[in-house]
Amino acid sequence: MLKMIVCMKQVPMVSDLPWDPVTGTLTRDAAEGMMNPACKHALEAALMLKERHGGHITAMTMGPPMAEEILREAIALGADRCLMVSDPKMAGADTLATSFTLARAIEIFCPDFDLILCGCHTSDSETAQVGPQLAEELDIPSIAAVEDLDLRGNTLRIKRVSDNFLETLEMDTPGLVTVATGFFMPRYASMAGLQDAFREPGILTVGARDLGLGEDAVGLQGSATRIVDIFSPVAKKENIVLKGAPKKIVEELFERFDDTIGSLIRKDLKAVE
Amino acid sequence: MEFDACMKHKLVRKSVREFAEAELGPVAHEIDQEARFPLEVVEKMRPLNFFGLQVPKEYGGAGIDSISYAIAIEEISRVSGSLGLCLTVHNSVGISPILRYGTKEQKERFVPRLSGGECIGAFCLTEANAGSDAGGVETHAVFTGGQYVINGTKIFVTNGGVCGLPLIFAITDPQARPGRNASVFIMEKGMPGFSVGEIEDLCGMRANPVSSLFFEDCRVGRENLLGKEGDGLKIGLDALDIGRIGIGAQAVGIAQAAYEASVKYSRERQQFRKPISSFQSIQNMLADMATEIDAARLLVYRASERKDSGRPFGKEASMAKLYASATASRVTGKAVQIHGGYGYSKEYDVERYFRDAKVTEIYEGTSEIQRMVISRAILAEPV
Repeated sequence: MLKMIVCMKQVPMVSDLPWDPVTGTLTRDAAEGMMNPACKHALEAALMLKERHGGHITAMTMGPPMAEEILREAIALGADRCLMVSDPKMAGADTLATSFTLARAIEIFCPDFDLILCGCHTSDSETAQVGPQLAEELDIPSIAAVEDLDLRGNTLRIKRVSDNFLETLEMDTPGLVTVATGFFMPRYASMAGLQDAFREPGILTVGARDLGLGEDAVGLQGSATRIVDIFSPVAKKENIVLKGAPKKIVEELFERFDDTIGSLIRKDLKAVE
Repeated sequence: MEFDACMKHKLVRKSVREFAEAELGPVAHEIDQEARFPLEVVEKMRPLNFFGLQVPKEYGGAGIDSISYAIAIEEISRVSGSLGLCLTVHNSVGISPILRYGTKEQKERFVPRLSGGECIGAFCLTEANAGSDAGGVETHAVFTGGQYVINGTKIFVTNGGVCGLPLIFAITDPQARPGRNASVFIMEKGMPGFSVGEIEDLCGMRANPVSSLFFEDCRVGRENLLGKEGDGLKIGLDALDIGRIGIGAQAVGIAQAAYEASVKYSRERQQFRKPISSFQSIQNMLADMATEIDAARLLVYRASERKDSGRPFGKEASMAKLYASATASRVTGKAVQIHGGYGYSKEYDVERYFRDAKVTEIYEGTSEIQRMVISRAILAEPV
C-alpha cells in the first residue's frame, strides 16, 4: 500500500486579505484562512494515486491552532489521517526551520512513508523552498513543480514543464514531489465528507517537546534568516512634461524611457545609434 | 452561548461557497433569463450529497446538522435563489416526511433515490382553492379494489417540472373532521394518470420549474400511503416547520447577495466626484441591510439549533421565516435603490435578487400564516 504524506499550509484568503495601512503588513489574525491552493493540488494528486493504486494519506501541517481547519478539510476531501505540528515556540520559523521541524515530525510519526507531496509554493510567501529542503532533511530524492505523475511499481513517472520543455522524469520511492497548480484540479468536498471530518473531536497535535526539539531549534530562534522589512508596494504616478524643440524632446524621451519603448517595439535601443 | 461560527460551520460555508461560485455562478444570470433548470450543475451536486443533506448515511445522505444545512442552503441561494429553492424543498418538505413517517420499506424504497438526486422531490399542497387554508384541498383518494384512486390538480408545485417522487395531499375521508380527513401519498413519475403541466411564467425563481401536477385516476397501493390515513395535516405541518428553516436560510442567502453587491457598487459608483458610499443616505441603507441580515441569520440558526437539540422549534422556525423573508424583500429593494437605474436593469443581478426575494414571503406559509403560527404559540404559553 502506497503510504503518502501531504504537507499543507494554511494561508490567508487572497480575496479577504486585510492590510494594516500604517505598517503595510498583513494582519494575519484577522484574515480568514484557507488551504494553500498548491497544497490542495498536491492533495488531489495524492487522492488520484490512492484511487488508482490504493494507499493511505496522512495530511500534515505546521501552524497555529486555527490551521486545524485545513486538516479537517483534507479529511473531508479523502485523507485518512492528519497530524498537526503546533507550538507557540515554532512561531516565526523560516523555511529552513519549517522543513527541519516537519522532517523530525515525519521521522517520529510517519517514518515508513513512500511519497511526500507538497504544494510547489504558497500564495502568501511564494518561496517554494520548504518541499525541496524537506527532501534534503530526510535525505530522499525530490522533483519540484510536478504537473502530472503516476506510479509503476516503486517508480514514479513524472511530467513537468521546465522552460517551455515538457520533461518526463522517473524517481524511485521513497521520494518527495512538489505539485504545480496546472494539472490536478482539486475536487469539491462532499457534505458527507465534511460531516465525517468533524466526527473525531480532537486531532493528533504534537509540539516541540514531542519532537525532542529545544527552543533554539525551532521557530524564530531556529531560523537562519530574518525578515528585516516587509512593505506593500505602492504604484506611483508622476506626470512629466518635456519641453523644448521636438528633437530635444524625442532625445530626452528615449533617454528616460528607452527600456520601456524598446520592450514595446522589441528592440534593444541601447544598441541602436 | 456562542455566536461565532465553529470551525465546522466555517468550513461548510467555505466549501459550499467555493462550489456555488465556481459551478453555479457562471450560469446563474442566464438560467434566470432563460427560465432554465441547470441540469448540468445538478449533475455535479449529486455526488456532493446536496440532495441528501440531512438524510442519514444508511439511506445515502450526508447526515449533516441543521445549522450546516441552513448554511448550505444560504450559500447556494446567495448565488441562485432558484437552485436554493430546489434544494430546500427537496431536502426538507420533499424528504423529511418520508424519514419521519415512512415505514422501513418506504424509506429503503424511496429515500436513496431522493438522497442521491436520482429523483427530485416536491411537496404538493396548494390547489386552486387551497393554500393557506389546507382544509380546502379538493384532490381526493378513494380506496377501491385494494388501491387508492387519486384525482385532482396541484398548482404552483416547486420542482414540479423535474420532480420524480412528489408527496401529495389528498382527502381520504370527506366525512372526517377537518384535520383528520387528508392523507399524504408518495407519487412516482411515470404512473399512469400522473402528468405535468406547463412551466409557470413567474416573476422570480425563474430557473425553478414550477408547474401544475395533474392526477387522473392515478392508482397507488397502500405502500405509497405515508403514515396513517388521516395523518395528512399533521405530516404537512411538521414538514413545513422544517421547511421554514430552509426558506429562512434561502431568504438570508438572497439578501446577503444583494447586500454584497450594494457594498461593492456603492464603493465604485461616483456621483458629485465621490463614491456614493461616502453619502450618509447610502451608509444608512447599508447599515440597515447588514443589521437585518445578521438578525435574520441568527433567527434561522437558533431555530436550527433547537431542532437538533430535540426541542420544539415550530414557533422559532416561523419567526425565522417571517423575519428573513421580510428582510430579503427590504434588502433587495434597497439594493435596487442603491444601484439606481442599473439596479432596474436586467444586466445587473440585483434586479434578479429583487424578483426572487418576494416569493419567500409567500410560499411555505405566507407571512400572515407565520404570524398566526407565532401568535398561537405565544398565546398558548402559560401566563
